[in-house]
Formats: sequence, structure tokens, C-alpha cells
Amino acid sequence: MTDAFIPAPEVPQTSGPRLVVDGLRIRHDGRHRFSPDGVTFTLRAGEVVLLMGPSGSGKSTLALALNGLVPHAVPAEMHGSVRVDDIDTRDASVAALSERVGMVLQDADAQIVTGSVLDEVCFGPENLSLPVPEILRRAEAALRRVGLWERRDDNPDILSGGGRQRVAIAAALALDSDTIVLDEPTANLDAAGADDVYDALAEIAADGRHTIVLIEHDLDRAVRIVDRVIVIDRDGHPVADGTPREVLAGRADELHQLGVWLPPATEAGRRLRHAGVFDADEPLPLTGEELTAALDAVPRERALPSLPAPAAAGTSTPASASASARAVTAATSAAPEHPQPAVVLDRVSVTRRRTRIVHDVSLTIGRGEFWAIVGVNGAGKSSLVQTMVGITAPSSGRVRVHGFDPARTDARRLSEHVGFVFQNPEHQFVAHTAFDELAYGLRARRVDESTIERQVTGMLERFGLADAAHVHPFLLSGGQKRRLSVGTALIAGASTLVLDEPTFGQDRERSDELLDVLRSLNRTGTTVVVVTHDLQLAVDHADHLAVMADGRLVEAGTVDEILGDEAVLERNGLRLPPLVRAFQAVTAHPEWRQVRRLDQIAGTAGHGAGDHGASGRRADP
Amino acid sequence: MTDPYRSFASARPRHYLYALNPLSKLVAVLPAMAALLFTRDIMTPLLFLALALVVLVTGARIGRRTALLLGVALPALIVVFALGFGAWTDPAAALRSTLLPGGLFGASADTVILQLGDYRYTVAALGVGLATSLRLCSILTLSLIAGLTTAGPDLVRSLVQNLRVPYRFGYTALAAYRFVPRFGRDLEQLRAARRVRGSVVRRGPVGWVGRSVGMVVPLLAGGIRHAERMSFAMDSRAFGASRHRTERYSVPWRARDTVFVVILLLATAAVFVLSSR
Repeated sequence: MTDAFIPAPEVPQTSGPRLVVDGLRIRHDGRHRFSPDGVTFTLRAGEVVLLMGPSGSGKSTLALALNGLVPHAVPAEMHGSVRVDDIDTRDASVAALSERVGMVLQDADAQIVTGSVLDEVCFGPENLSLPVPEILRRAEAALRRVGLWERRDDNPDILSGGGRQRVAIAAALALDSDTIVLDEPTANLDAAGADDVYDALAEIAADGRHTIVLIEHDLDRAVRIVDRVIVIDRDGHPVADGTPREVLAGRADELHQLGVWLPPATEAGRRLRHAGVFDADEPLPLTGEELTAALDAVPRERALPSLPAPAAAGTSTPASASASARAVTAATSAAPEHPQPAVVLDRVSVTRRRTRIVHDVSLTIGRGEFWAIVGVNGAGKSSLVQTMVGITAPSSGRVRVHGFDPARTDARRLSEHVGFVFQNPEHQFVAHTAFDELAYGLRARRVDESTIERQVTGMLERFGLADAAHVHPFLLSGGQKRRLSVGTALIAGASTLVLDEPTFGQDRERSDELLDVLRSLNRTGTTVVVVTHDLQLAVDHADHLAVMADGRLVEAGTVDEILGDEAVLERNGLRLPPLVRAFQAVTAHPEWRQVRRLDQIAGTAGHGAGDHGASGRRADP
Repeated sequence: MTDPYRSFASARPRHYLYALNPLSKLVAVLPAMAALLFTRDIMTPLLFLALALVVLVTGARIGRRTALLLGVALPALIVVFALGFGAWTDPAAALRSTLLPGGLFGASADTVILQLGDYRYTVAALGVGLATSLRLCSILTLSLIAGLTTAGPDLVRSLVQNLRVPYRFGYTALAAYRFVPRFGRDLEQLRAARRVRGSVVRRGPVGWVGRSVGMVVPLLAGGIRHAERMSFAMDSRAFGASRHRTERYSVPWRARDTVFVVILLLATAAVFVLSSR
């Protein structure tokens, strides 16, 4: 890592540097470690920068330092300096800096202060005491830019998630700041919402005036608009700084080792190179289109011998997709063949406050299967799975879980069969230590203490929580909380696990770590039903998909069946994951069109998706 | 719960209450509300109730919900309160009161309506209950004059513009309204989570307290995090940058506001003159 600093691409020197970060080290109060630790870079007008790093690298903290929230609003110790247009952030208030640096955060709901879209965008300029005509001029320009001018009188609450996030971007634009910092702006959005946000961002990025600093998990979208990438490692140290091609494609193996996520196309290319399909001196692709082109350019005679083994999960010809996927399910499931399905929904409808939110859904989930229920935000996914554990009673239709009617079965009895994990793990914690949290369900059943001790200890070890047994659940790290919540759902012996948007608001690394836990549970026979708006995550881990839209079940089947029908996905606000799309577009090698996920690419033993999860776990403080 | 951000842009000019400064609506009824606290009779609150209803019916758009509120819920509340306070009052003290010198509906004050052992529910007690009930409900109805016809942001704006309340307080309070639906959703999730965990359901008030205390910590933890993010977002948008902020909507105090206040103050005085006779 001697050449850690590739000089940033030269931008014509029309003006001085816009943002200078010099030797920045930040330590949150109560933490021992500095992260970021010694980060230095200079940003000029028009640069669009992607800030990358594994969980715990301090990239979000760094973002908060760019407009002075660190150290002014966040209790933290800061060394080094951040200069915005030659003003040291220490010497100016956040409010004063807001004219120079706009900020868009992950949670759109927490950024809305007023009651209409127009008022919201005017809020910033009003605080700057600008004259009214100027405020309205800026608000109109900002709202037209994100395509929301026609909806200026609406309450932001009635906009979609993508719409609310665009309001936040417009609010930042209206401050007329030259620099805009966005921290995971699409993390809680479905694909349609993320498209909206990126359409708006691409336009702003193209004007050459705004400097954009972006933290993003959706690298396939981000890499299309950025011209510079800065990477921080797990300890908060800077590792790389350069163009996306230099950093992401040029140093892919190194970044992978550091636990940094690569764009899906680059990661696929990296694995294909290790498998001998791509030449070592060939540049790795950054986008899906480049991956497709690179695959098409592979000579047929070379590609054939190193094709992924057809035994890998889900790789089968379309004609036998269904049958073979079922065979895979049966083969990987350790549960004995059970005549009774795990979940049976028969014409289930749910009505809440006189509105029907689930319409007539029928679905059978076999034992040992791994289902992902996908759909845009508000499609009725959560309401549907809530009927499986008796939280919501169906207004009509029949629900059976392991043969029980959840709405009429005692909660304690039901929890021996099905466990439910809520979106926010904190909501379900009731005890004061991780140990008691797991023991809670057993004590309620009057199991004797020695058995409890044994079972809880086993569960703690299974989820890597043995060291945290006596820590208050609220003080665990995000990933630990999540694993504890899965443990509590399973402790009473449930063999079916239902999870409601378990990855909402989490970064990609944490999400993948959780899904890996679920996959290993599934391998030992647990039936898993997970609700998500992230189709890539679903495709990476599940073997069955159910697509919901407007409260109806649009389609259900194996991953291959569903992915084969792009039109249905598009119509329901979903997008094919970039990897699936790239492989489906391959023309020279029809056999390759069936690749769905990275671990299907051969020759990557020991480099599977799982090692991200393992390294993520180690990073938990 | 009503939306504090609701807009009254669609209100017709005939409904004059929407066009008034929110402060004028408060100033006009505050003296009456304060004076009502010190009344003990039945006539004064009854007259104020009538006055408030007249103002509302002439000045506000009466939709289905408002009609139900004023026409059904309010009378029902008056009756329930009257009976309840009547039962609560000290029967002996009630008999000594001179609220109903001529009795009620021809029945004299000491007529017993209901007797349970030693306890006697007399017409006099009902009179005391009715007076208390009318007092409360007339204050409530007077507050509806401003409450039903004022948008939250307008009240904040008029407080800032006309009363020079620091905008930092006003707008922070307004932003806090956004917490209410969020708390509601969180609470719903918490309840569901506890049910699914097979929590031992203890009935009665002790169980209720236990359950509530258990939910306070996660609710607060979520609320504090949300508040922190919200304060970051507000800071990042120049909130508090200077001592004044531009108000795009001015909420001026117009002649009609003065007229409204004067009329209502005169009416208040008239009610006291009438009822004291």
C-alpha cells in the first residue's frame, strides 16, 4: 500500500479548492478509536466523489464533518481540519456553513419540518433571511430540477419515499450551496424511488458547478455518476483516491481484502478473472453494460471449459427451472420431508381502517424453503406476513402455519413453531441483558433453569454473542442487535422464521451479514420468509420469490421463474438486479444468461459472499 | 388527531373565521374563558356556549365531522359530565347552594332523584353538576373557535410576527408535531412485538403500568434518535443562522381582527350583564 495516494484527476484550475480535508481524525465521545483517522483530500468545483469504506470506517462521521455538524452538533473529538471555501468549519456555525455545504441524510422522514413541499424547500432560504422573491425563485428552480414543482402544494407525507428524498435534495439545492453531501440517500428506497433520486442527481452532477460527495451502497447506480472514489479502511485510514477505474477496477482485489464492497459488475469481473475467464491484464468492468460487453468478447472456446458448474444453486435451463430449483431446495434442506407445508395462505385479505391492504392472496410455503416477499414500499408485504404470526387477523381467508391458525393460537404455543423478527430489533427487546432476552421466552414456559442455561448459551454461541451475554440489548452494535432478535425468535424451537424488512435502514454489509445468518439457518432446515424491497438481496439469498403490488400477489415461484419475466418486475416498480441484467444480456454465450448471483461464478472457493459477513462480524465493537 | 398542517385555502369568504389572525381568535375568547372559571351559576356558561356556537356556525365551514362534534358529542358530553359531577358533589353542600332556587322542571331542589342506602342524589346536586359541566363545555367550545379554524403553521407565524416569540421555539414546536404519528407507529409495533414474544399478560392497572414502563425505554430511544437526526437536518438548513428569518406569509393584524375582538369582548360583557339580572 505504498502507492495509496493516486493523485486526484486534475480539474481545470478556474478557482481555488472548494473543500480541503486535512489530517482529519474524529473520535465519538465514549469510543476508543478514531475513525476516520488521518484522512486528507481536496475537492474542486464539479467533482462528484464516492466515499467508500466498510462499516465502522467512519465514512458517515466524515460526511457530518463536512458541514460542521462534527464538531458543533455531534459530541466528538476532532483533530485536523476541514476548510470549506477557505473557512475553517471550527470557526463557523453549521447554519452559516449551510450556505456552502448542503446535506441530505438517509432518513427522509427525519428531514421534513414543514407541511408542504414548497414550504419545505423554502425553509432553508427563509432561515437565511433572503427576500421573498429570491426565496421563491430558488425554490422553483430547485423543485423543477428534481421534478416536483407540480406537487409543490402537497404534504410531503403523501409523496413516495423517493419523492420525499427528492424534496430533501431540492431543499439542499435551494440553499444554493456549491457542495452537496449525500449519506446513503437511497438506502430505504425501492428501485423506482432510487431511479428517481439518481435521475435528479445525475442532472445536478452534470452541471459542472456542484461538488457532490456521495456515500452509497447501490454502487451500480453510483458508479455511473461519480468521477472520483475515495476509500477508507476499517480502521478509518485512507487507502485509495482516484478515478473509479483506477481505484475500483485497478485495485479490486485489494479493496475486496479490506472488506470494501465493489460494484456488482466489478466483483463479478474479479471472480471471472480468478476463474481464468477474463485475462489478468484486461480492465475490470464497472457497470453492468461493461460486464456484458466483456463477456461477449470472451472467445467461445475459452469460455466453455470454465463455465460455472450447473450444480450451483439456481443454475439451470429455463425449461427445467422450477423442477431443478425444487430439487436443490430438497437437497440442501436437512429437514425430513414433512407432509404439512410451513405456511398456507388461502385467499387471504386484510382490511385496516376500512381500506383493504391485502387482496385475496393464496400462497403455499413448503418446509425448508427460503422465500423473499418483494415489492415496492407500501405493496402490502408487511401486512401479509403479519397474518402469519397473528399480529394481524385476516378479514377473510384462511391462514395456517404448521397447521395452526395464528390468530386463534396462544402466543406461547405459536412461538414454538414460528418466530417473527421486527423491522426494528429494539422494539422486541424486553429484558435487561442479552442472556435474559433469550431466556425470556423459556422462562415464560417455566422451563427449568439448567435447561435454560444450556439452551441460551448454545444460542448465544450460535449467533456470535457469547461475549455480549451480560450486555444490555440496547447497547449492542447494530449487527448484534439484529442477530439477538433472530435468536429470540428461534429460542422456543420455532422452525419457521418470518422477518419484516430486516434490512431497512441498514447498510449493505450488515444486510448481507444478516442474510448469511438466515441462509445458514435455512441450510439446517429452518423455513425462512423475509420481506424486502431490495430485489438484489432477495436474489442473492432466497430460492423463492413472491412479488406483491397494490396488496395483490402478482407472481410467486422460484427465483429463476420470476427473474425470467422482467416485464412483470418492471410493471410492479421493481428492477432486475444489475448482475442478473448484465448476464441476461450476454449474446455470445447463452449458457451464461442464467447466472443470478456471484457465488455461481466458479473458481471462487474461499471468496464467497460469506466472507464479507464474517469480516463484518469481526468489526463489531 | 387532526393535521396541524392542514390548509384552509379552500374555505369560502363567508366563513370569516379562517381569514382572521389566529391571535385575534385567541384574544377574543380568552377573557370569556378566564371569567368562566370564576362563575358558579348555570346561566352564564349556557349563554357563552350559545355565543360560541353562533360564532362557529356563522364563521366556520361545518362539515360532517364538525357537525357531529357540535351536534352530538357536545350535548352528550354535557349530560355525562352533569350526571357525573352531580354524583361527585357533596349532597349536603349542594342543598345549601342557591343555584336552583326554583328547582328544576317544577321539582324542588331537595327532591330525591335516586336513593342508594344513605346516599341521595338530589335535584340540587344535579344542578351543581350541570353548572360545572356547562362551565367546562363552554370553555371547550370557545377554544374550538380558534382550534377548528387555525392551521398550526399560521399560529406559529402569528406568534412570531405579532408577539415576537423567538422563531426558534415556534418552529421547533411545529417540527415536534411530526413526532406524533411516528410515536403512534412505534407504539403499534411495540405492542405487536410484545404479543408475539408471548409476554405474560397481567391484567388490571398493575399490569398496564408494567407494560407501559417496559415500552417507555424503546419509545424514548427511538424518539431521541429521530430528534437528533431532525436537529441535524434543521441545522444543515441554516436554522438559527440569524435572529430573524424571512416569513413568506405575513399574518398581519388587520382592522377586521380588531373588529372581531371588540365585538366578542362586548358580547362577553353583555353576557355577564344579562346573567347577573
